[in-house]
Amino acid sequence: MSERTYRAIADPTRRAILDRLRQGPANANALAGNFVTSRPAISKHLRILRESGLVIDKPSGRERIYHLNAAPLGEVFGWLGDYRTFWQSSLDQLKRNLEEET
Amino acid sequence: MSTARAIADVTDGVIVATIDIRVPPERVFRALTSEEIIQWWVRPGVFDTREWVGDVRVGGRWRASGIGNGKPYTLEGEFTEVDPPRKLVHTWSPVGPALPPSIVTYTLEQIEGGTRLTLRHSGIVAPAMFENTSVGWEVSLETLVELLSAEAA
Repeated sequence: MSERTYRAIADPTRRAILDRLRQGPANANALAGNFVTSRPAISKHLRILRESGLVIDKPSGRERIYHLNAAPLGEVFGWLGDYRTFWQSSLDQLKRNLEEET
Repeated sequence: MSTARAIADVTDGVIVATIDIRVPPERVFRALTSEEIIQWWVRPGVFDTREWVGDVRVGGRWRASGIGNGKPYTLEGEFTEVDPPRKLVHTWSPVGPALPPSIVTYTLEQIEGGTRLTLRHSGIVAPAMFENTSVGWEVSLETLVELLSAEAA
């Protein structure tokens, strides 16, 4: 279980950055323009996201372009997937029970 | 829709599922708020809820326990909205690990010939998102993962 991944997505601003990067790569300026959070705070979030592997930065001229790398989220999806299956299976059972009565 | 369709949103930690049931909303609501839960929080061979008690009013608590893959588990929570037969909201926490509670919202809508039940389970977080984890904690969560796993033993 990758603690870095979970920590990275535990923060709403970082999740918002990931959401933004889903639309395409961006540099730090463009990203900061999307948030009221201060530029240094955004840099810190980007560092945590880079360390988690969820964001990859590539140099382009004098700046860095940030890209989304969703691969580490696979683990998180596994965790959520268990809940998904629990509810799907339980709701199907509920339907069978209630409709069999009638 | 004949069977439940559940969707997971990874970034938000949300599960959403909808199912149509050919009984009135009042009947469905009763199944969500009574010991009847032990008849449907069940998947043969994977998890089996054996006990459920609940004080169904805002601020009242519920507790469920059973066996998942041969290991005991307990879940508990608090009712935060009780509006029969339209809406029910309660928190959901595994007993043991110090996780913030997730939130289960059921919405019941009368449709022709029955009820459309929509489930939203939000705020689901993985254990390692939180600091101060301990080994004992990880073990409890592992039990929960197994409990909720669809894979037959």
